[in-house]
Formats: sequence, structure tokens, C-alpha cells
Amino acid sequence: MQLIVNNRRYDLRPVPSSTLLDVLREDLALTGTKRGCDRGECGACSVLVDGRLVYSCLTLALACEGTSVLTVEGLASEGTLSPLQQAFIAHDAAQCGFCTPGQLIAAHALLAQVGDPSDDEIREAMSGNLCRCGTYPKIARAIREVAQTRAQGAGDAA
Amino acid sequence: MPRKPKGPKPVTGFVQTTVEVEGRTETRVVEVPAFEPPPWGEQQELHIVGARLPRRDADEKVTGRARYTADTVRPGMLHAVILRSRVARGNITHCDTAHALALPGVFAVLGPGDAPDRTRLFPRTIDYAGQPVAAVCAESERVAWRAAHAIALTIETTPFALTLRDATAPGAPRVRRKGNTPEASPLVASRGDIAAGLAAAEVVLQRSYHTPVALHTAIEPHGAVAEWEGEQLTIWESTQGIFRVRDNVARALELPLSRVRVIKQYMGGGFGAKNGAGPHTYVAALFARTLGRPVRCLNDREAEQSDSGNRPSTTQHVTLGAKRDGTLTAIKLTAEVPLGISGWEGGPAQFYHEMYACANVHTEEQFAYVNTSGMQAFRAPGYVEGAFGLESAMNTLADTLGMDPLELRRRNFTDRDPRRDRPYSANQLLSCYEQGARRFGWAAARRVPRSTSRVRRGVGMAGQIWPTGGGPPAYAFVRLNPDASIEVLSGTQDLGTGARTVLAQIAAESLGARFADVRAVIGDTQTLPYAGNSWGSMTTASVGPAVRMAAEDARRQLFDAAAAMLDATPDALESRDSLVVVRDTDRSMTFADVTKRLGDVMIIGKGSRGPNPDGLAIATFGAQFAEVEVDTATGIIRVLRIVAAHDAGRIINPTLAESQLEGGILQGLGMALFEERVIDRFLGVPLNSTIHDYKIPVMADVPEIEAFFVPGADPAANHTGARGLAEPPIIPTAPAISAAVAHALGVELSEIPLTPWRVLAAMQADA
Repeated sequence: MQLIVNNRRYDLRPVPSSTLLDVLREDLALTGTKRGCDRGECGACSVLVDGRLVYSCLTLALACEGTSVLTVEGLASEGTLSPLQQAFIAHDAAQCGFCTPGQLIAAHALLAQVGDPSDDEIREAMSGNLCRCGTYPKIARAIREVAQTRAQGAGDAA
Repeated sequence: MPRKPKGPKPVTGFVQTTVEVEGRTETRVVEVPAFEPPPWGEQQELHIVGARLPRRDADEKVTGRARYTADTVRPGMLHAVILRSRVARGNITHCDTAHALALPGVFAVLGPGDAPDRTRLFPRTIDYAGQPVAAVCAESERVAWRAAHAIALTIETTPFALTLRDATAPGAPRVRRKGNTPEASPLVASRGDIAAGLAAAEVVLQRSYHTPVALHTAIEPHGAVAEWEGEQLTIWESTQGIFRVRDNVARALELPLSRVRVIKQYMGGGFGAKNGAGPHTYVAALFARTLGRPVRCLNDREAEQSDSGNRPSTTQHVTLGAKRDGTLTAIKLTAEVPLGISGWEGGPAQFYHEMYACANVHTEEQFAYVNTSGMQAFRAPGYVEGAFGLESAMNTLADTLGMDPLELRRRNFTDRDPRRDRPYSANQLLSCYEQGARRFGWAAARRVPRSTSRVRRGVGMAGQIWPTGGGPPAYAFVRLNPDASIEVLSGTQDLGTGARTVLAQIAAESLGARFADVRAVIGDTQTLPYAGNSWGSMTTASVGPAVRMAAEDARRQLFDAAAAMLDATPDALESRDSLVVVRDTDRSMTFADVTKRLGDVMIIGKGSRGPNPDGLAIATFGAQFAEVEVDTATGIIRVLRIVAAHDAGRIINPTLAESQLEGGILQGLGMALFEERVIDRFLGVPLNSTIHDYKIPVMADVPEIEAFFVPGADPAANHTGARGLAEPPIIPTAPAISAAVAHALGVELSEIPLTPWRVLAAMQADA
């Protein structure tokens, strides 16, 4: 099967029962995407498939044939961190950091869909990504800052 | 003006000191450091310590580059899985592994009786559901699981005990060979005369409280990778204590300590459950030795939720005696704590002895071993449970007396450690009460009359103590490389708490270096000097002073070297921003100028953690205030607001420290509202070993949190003035929330979590 991951094309032969998470971590050595539960409960494995937010542990790899996948490793471009990544650092939105890749991808998906989400929209959209360190207030703050900066930028441009 | 470090004096020898570890007091004999820097007092001018610097490893964490145990891949690595019992007690009469071994890709199986005794793995008896019974090693985890399920076990089930009452009843099943209760049980502690205290009381309040079994639920399950090179074993482990894993493994496999190397760079949360080697560690090491290939063994989520430690449940029978003005005359506790199959006596009693000035305190804790998985320390073990009991009782006492709960606490404040009658190194609990109440608007919120509408609001508060001054032994080196890049070397670990960052801050401050030039190298037992487990909120206050001393030692050497180059005496030098300056002149050199001239002649400062001060109690204090909204039709609680004021001495990095407060509060919120392990009482198996069924807070549950530290420093505790702060914030959250719910509804609550049905039942009982 063919799969594009972070803009790079791969030819893969996964066993039929492989999940997208298995392929990313084991075959492509993209270990930024984490396995916390392997049953769609924690969100640490969140990735985008053709722009759609999925739990990669519940997604069969073969079902992703021909799609384009974005993982945490693909968020920075040419060594420059994305605004979300920078905001996560500035707001201390990663404690142990294990859920952080999933949080970043979920936040990325939210901001791609909703330009300037309300606090409630952020809370709802991010509630599929668990953080046991309790970093939620700072994750929310980081997302809000990026959304507001972007909304301001859009406003200025218009 | 920066103070000059004293020159080295000869080591004066060894002394005895005490260290508080997870609520236990340990006595240790430690060497007195050659010199100790003068303490950073409250007025000390500091530039890097106390600054809101970004977390040192944040970049690795937001890019996915941070490598956790499960991300470790070694050449030729195999995968092991552990098969666990689905019955609570029994004897394995037959185990057939032939089918498992015959599957392609399977390398080896360890079954009942196959592991060395010292690992305590795979006995022929089963003592709890979730106990490891066999392990399989295969070319992939998938194959290993398939093989594990092909193992045929015949188990003769036997009666089990799940509760303290079951385990202590006549004719109870023998849970442990040496008996169903620990030797120390019942644990009785007293001061004063409880009968006299109760006789002197004008008001006596008797209540019972129950706290649940709570699960750590780190998002990263336990795991290890083991690799042998000849006689040398290397283990990558997700752990809070690399040296303790080393010691555990060396003992279990009968190896010299020097043959076991443990590495941990990143871990996905521990919260007390990752304090040593576990079955996964031994399984990986055993298979790796037999097969001559690296082996990885990771818990799956079910194993993580069912057999990786828990906070044991408690039942607390509380009697408070008080004068009408609120002065406590008696505090009495009888508690029951079923520990699971193993554990230590981490009960609720100490909080009752330490929180308030009361002349007469008597506690009795009964512990029992039962046929469920063993307990482990879980963030502020014992104190979380004790605070729910005592603080709930105090809130009810306040209502009974018609007093403001805050006033009741002020009246019973103690400025001396009442348990051992000694002064505190520092204690700002009254400031926490005062500043927390002010920011919360406590007085005004209390005055709002209770509504009769469907959704009702209420407010509540609770306080906290946690003994945590850190202590020896802990060692550090500070090394200046020829390019003046600086490394702090210490065998401690960063759980996500920020140790990498705060230790670099302390070193940069002490050395007069730029923060950007300093990097902390941690997490490797072979190459780094000893530091203890990161438990008991101990790392900053234990390793921090060792790092400061090492940096001061390095600075002294740097000044000695620079003096001749600058044509000055070392006494005339000072440093800041990686620059050595001759005081009151414009003569200076960069650190790099000095080290370049030295070439490979190294400046290596050595530091160790000195003994704790004699005769002082060292503790962290705090108070939390909660506002909730309760839907009286559904019983659903929404926490609207938490204000948390804590006193932990000097704060090295306020941003990171506030993250700890928020995290503790949210775990406390989870305990108050959702978290409870459920065991099937007929089968003895856990029923909610998933994160779907064992609920932890998600972002939608997060209230508005205002968490802060009252300003201050604690130079009497240690020369950095910092105490521990990671565990304290979880302690008062659940009783504060419970009190707010009680306030909203006008009912009493005695059991957490406050699930909707418990709230509705409490309302019905009251009606």
C-alpha cells in the first residue's frame, strides 16, 4: 500500500491486522505518536488522516491506503516550530510530555476546522485527549493564544 | 553582592539525620559536606532561580523527539508480554505451554515455577486477579499475545478475602503465609489524654468517612527494555528511581550493582507507581539473558489499571471534641485500610496528628492484606485520605458550631509541629488561609443564601500539611567544558516535574552562568552520581542543594584559575552571565576565555546534600477553596472554581511549580468526583480496568483554577530555601469540593467519589 506521512511517500506491506499506530511506530519509526491504551480511550495516538482527526490505535493501516497522514513529527516545517508548538512551550503546556503529541494534533485539527474557537469549543474538542499530569489549563491557554493571534492576523489582513 | 563561597574545610565526618519520605521518617547516617554555601535567605537577590524560564526539554516534547521507554528500539529486539490471572485466588495445577511455544515467531515461555525465587514471579499459587502467571517472548508483541492466550492453565480456585472484614474474620482464607495483617497493625499513636480531651469538650462530633481505591493511571504504562552485553545488563525503564530499579534488579538476579545499568530519560507520568522494578522489568531481563537478545516488555492498559499499584481505600471513624469557641480538645480516629496483597502502612492517621494544635490525639489504624493487587504510594499517600476524613469532619464541626470553617481552622492553627513538639523551619499556613480566602472572595461567597432552584451553588475549603524537606544522600557534579558549556551531572530523574530545568537554574545561579549555557544530565546509574527516588516531593530539596554546592565548588576553581589571568586575587572576583569580573573594575573575562586557556584541564565541582537541621519540622502547607454547581435532578456536579494557596518555601521556577499545583488539583478533582476502582465482590476481579470505565478528568471537567504560592523562602530547611511541592496540592482538593457540594445542598457527605447516584442518595437520606 502507499501512504503519505508528513509529506513523505512510503510503500508498505502491513499485515492486515496492523493499526495505523503500529505502522507509524514500528515500521516508520515515528515514535512521537504514543500508545497509551490501544483501545481508543486516551488520545495519545491522535493523528490526522487526510485532515481528519483519528485515534490511530483504532484505525486499520490498510484502510488508510493512499491517504496523507500528519503526525507530531510533521508539525514543524524546515526546523521552525509551528505556532501551536511554540505556544505549548511558552505556556508550559507539556509536563511529562507523553500525551503532548496527541494534544498538539487534536489542537491542530480544531484550529483547522474552527478559526477562533470559544473556550467551550476548545474544552469539548480537546476532551478526547487525556492528560494525567493535569496540564489542561495550560494547553487550553496555548490553543487560545494561537487562535487569537491568528484571528487578529486575519482581521488585520482584512 | 553575591556572597563568596567559603573555602573547602576538611570533611568533619558522619552524622545522623532524619529525612521525611512519603510520610515516613527515616534516620540516615550521612557525611557532612566539606563546605556548605551560606543559605539563600528570603531577601537574597537571585536572577535565574525564581525566574519563569521555559521547561528545558519542552522542545523535545512538542516535536515528538523525546524518547520514552516504549520508543526505545535495540537491534534484534524481541517483545515480551505477561499473562495475568483472571481469578482472585487459587492453585495452578497444570500449565501447558506447548501450543504457545509451537507458534511461529515464539522464542520462549516462562511459566509457573520458571523464574528465580527472588523475582517472586510466577509462583504456583494465585493471590489476586491480575497477578502475573506466565510470560511469552516473541518476535512481535502481537505474536507474543497470541501465544500467551494459547497457554492452557488449570487453576483450582480457592476462597478469597476482598475486604478488611473478610481478611480478619475467624476462619478467613490465609491471604499471606505470615498472616493477614502486617506486624505493625494495629498502628496506635497518641498524645495527651484522649478521654480527658473528650470529657473537656463542649461539643462532640462523631462521623465516618470512606475513600476509594484510586488508580495512578499514568498515560504511559510501565515498561522496560533489557539488553545484556556479556555480563553487563542495561535496562531502559520508565521509573521514578533509576538507582532503586538497579538495586531491585541486582538483588533479584544476584548481580553486583556494577553490572546493572538503568537509564531513564523521559517518562509518561509516575505519581508514585513507578518507584522500582516490576514484573515487566524482570521478565525483560530474564528473557534477554536466556535468548541473548534485547527484550522489551510493556504493560498494556488493563495490566496498568489492574496491577501497577493503587491508593488503598480507607474507612475512617472520626471523633472530634471541641469547645464552643472552636478550640479542639480531642481528635480520635479509628481507621481500616485493606492494603491489597502487599504494601506498607501508609494510612490516614498522620494528618490527624499534624494538621492542628490539639493536646489530645489518639489514632488507631488497622491494616490487612486482601486478595487484590498491592498498593503503592500515590501522590501524598495517606494524607489525601486523612485530609478527606479530618477536613470533612472539621467542616461539619464548623457548621455544628455555627462558625466559618476558615475561622475554625485559624483558631486551631499550630505554629509548632504538634506531633513532635518542635518548631517548623517555616510555616505560612495562615498566609495561605488569608490570601486564598481573599482571592476567592470567601466571606462574600459564604454569605450567598442557599438557593432552592434545581441547580445550586456552594463553596467549601480545606487545608493541607505534608512533611517534605528532602534530604541526603544526593550528589552532583558541575563540569565546565573547554568551550565553557556547563553540565550538571546527577543521577536523579525528571518525571515531568521539571527537574532538568530547576537543577540547571540552581547551577546557573550559583555559578554566575547564563542559563542557556547550562544543561542537566540525569537518568543514568552508570555514569552519574547517586540521587534518590523522585518520590515524596523530594527532588528539588534533595538534589538542589547538592547541585548548588557543586556549582559553588566549580566557581571557586574557576576563580582560582581566572585570578592569575586577570591579575587579581580570587577574593576580588565575581561572576554573572558567564563572565568573570574583577569587582569594582572594568577587567573581565568570559568563562570561555578562561576554560579555553585551561584546555582540557577540567573544572569539576562536586556537591552533596548535607544533613537536615536538627530539631526542626519541615513541611509544606496550603489551603484550597472550591465553588461548585450541583444539579439536584441528576446529581451531577460541576466544579466551577478552585483557588489554591500553597507555601513551599522558595519557588525555583514559578511556571513549572504552578503546573504541579494545577496537576495535583485536577487529580484531587478526579478523586472527588469520578475515580474509584470497582471489584466484583463475587469473583474478586476488577471491573473497570480501562480508562473508559475508570474515569479521570478531561479538559471539559477543568474548573477555573487560580493556584499560587505565598512568597517566601525557607533557608532553615536547606541552603536553597526550597521545599517540596508536587504532592501537597492533591491533598485538600477532594474535601474542599465535597464541602462545597454539602454547602450547596445542605446535606452531609461522607464518601467519595461523589458520583451522581451518591449525591442523589445523600439528598434522599436527608429528605
